[in-house]
Amino acid sequence: MAVCVAVISKENSPLFIKTNSNENELNFHFTVHTSLDVVEEKISPGAGANKNNDTRELYLGLLYPTEDYRVYGYVTNTKIKFVIVVESSNTTLRDNEIRSMFRKLHSAYVDMVCNPFYEPGQTINSKSFDTIVKSMMIQEM
Amino acid sequence: MSIGEDIIFEYLHMEIVNVVAGREGIHNKDLIVSKLEKMGHRVGQGMIDRFTKDSPRFKDELDIMKFICKDFWTAVFKKQVDNLRTNHQGVYVLLDKKFRLLTHLSSEKEYVEIAPKFIAFSCGLIRGALSNFGLISIVTADVNSLPECRFQVQIHR
Amino acid sequence: MSRQSGRSNDPRKVSGELLTLTYGALVAQLVKDSESDDEVNKQLDKMGYNIGIRLIEDFLARSSIGKCKDLRETAEIISKNGFKMFLNITPIVANWNQSGDEFSLIIDNNPLTEFAELPDEHKSLSYCNILCGVVRGALEMVQLEVETKIVQDQLKGDNVTELKVKYIRKIEEAAPAGDD
Repeated sequence: MAVCVAVISKENSPLFIKTNSNENELNFHFTVHTSLDVVEEKISPGAGANKNNDTRELYLGLLYPTEDYRVYGYVTNTKIKFVIVVESSNTTLRDNEIRSMFRKLHSAYVDMVCNPFYEPGQTINSKSFDTIVKSMMIQEM
Repeated sequence: MSIGEDIIFEYLHMEIVNVVAGREGIHNKDLIVSKLEKMGHRVGQGMIDRFTKDSPRFKDELDIMKFICKDFWTAVFKKQVDNLRTNHQGVYVLLDKKFRLLTHLSSEKEYVEIAPKFIAFSCGLIRGALSNFGLISIVTADVNSLPECRFQVQIHR
Repeated sequence: MSRQSGRSNDPRKVSGELLTLTYGALVAQLVKDSESDDEVNKQLDKMGYNIGIRLIEDFLARSSIGKCKDLRETAEIISKNGFKMFLNITPIVANWNQSGDEFSLIIDNNPLTEFAELPDEHKSLSYCNILCGVVRGALEMVQLEVETKIVQDQLKGDNVTELKVKYIRKIEEAAPAGDD
């Protein structure tokens, strides 16, 4: 499944990043950061020719492929960005499955943000949110 | 017949107003209003996160304002805004002729005196909703005759 | 393009969420403004009481329920009619003591606590303490003096939330309203 899941604030600061290995963590931070430019480009009002912009979908699809990974993006109506990274070698994951992972992540985010003790914009340290993200990162057998 | 949760919400809102007013003291009107406004703000933020989860992306500011006046208003205040006017420069005036959180006040009271604390939460709710869309605004309201309420939303650009 | 398509069309769900979020904002604000969790618990109970003494009128008007013959019947009505009407849940009535003057309402899916995660530094906060006050206030208006207490709390890791109700006495004359 996913090797990295990230939640980015309205102001483009990371609220939550989880990776499946510590070694690559810095690398993933970089990947996520780079992907934000593509996200901005995709949702900017000027990008009229963009297909996703026309349908006004929250799911932005594949942001860009690298040699080892595929990076997908999603933006909520409240300008929170979700980034999911999967390994390029993982060819079993279809677009629909990526979509449903984002939907699950979005639901978990919405529930987390409604915790009255959470201040929107703060780093996410909710246990239940973490559990749900972990479940999306478990390796397939 | 109204939904049970709506009745509880109205009692809770009334009780919140009383408690905040009681804690801060009668002479501290600004603090009372700002506390209630802040609570409303947080609720408005959360409502928008829940409410727009399955909506397509919003096109522009007007698209968002229409959503606030129709879908959001109906969900939160149980009816649509009766009238929406704008100067197309970021100022919107929303008129609700029978505002939900004012219907319980008797019109014999000195409502002009007490109305601010009964609409502060709602002003915050609207401001919080807009802020979650990325729109920074000032929301004020005035009550001329119960239970009519006129909200003015000024969006910073 | 219609927005209608994507939205939740269940008004009861939306009303419940508004209530849950408003209650959450209240508790969070009280926690910020108070010296101790205990002070918050007391305030919530008191607010609940003030709501309960008014809510009973709405309840009686809407449910057309008459006098209860005993505490067992009262308990069932609180759960199946009261909680059902106002929070859309039906707590299980259980844990009667031997003398039959004490029971518990077992709540499994408390809408008030739906999104809340208690911060570690507020472990003595009884988040849904308002329910204690509501039940106590409402029963007082039908001449039943009770003590209420949250003894298990899902937010603290318990499997269920348990609200204990202990019968104290029958109030002979209508008590004056107001707790202050």
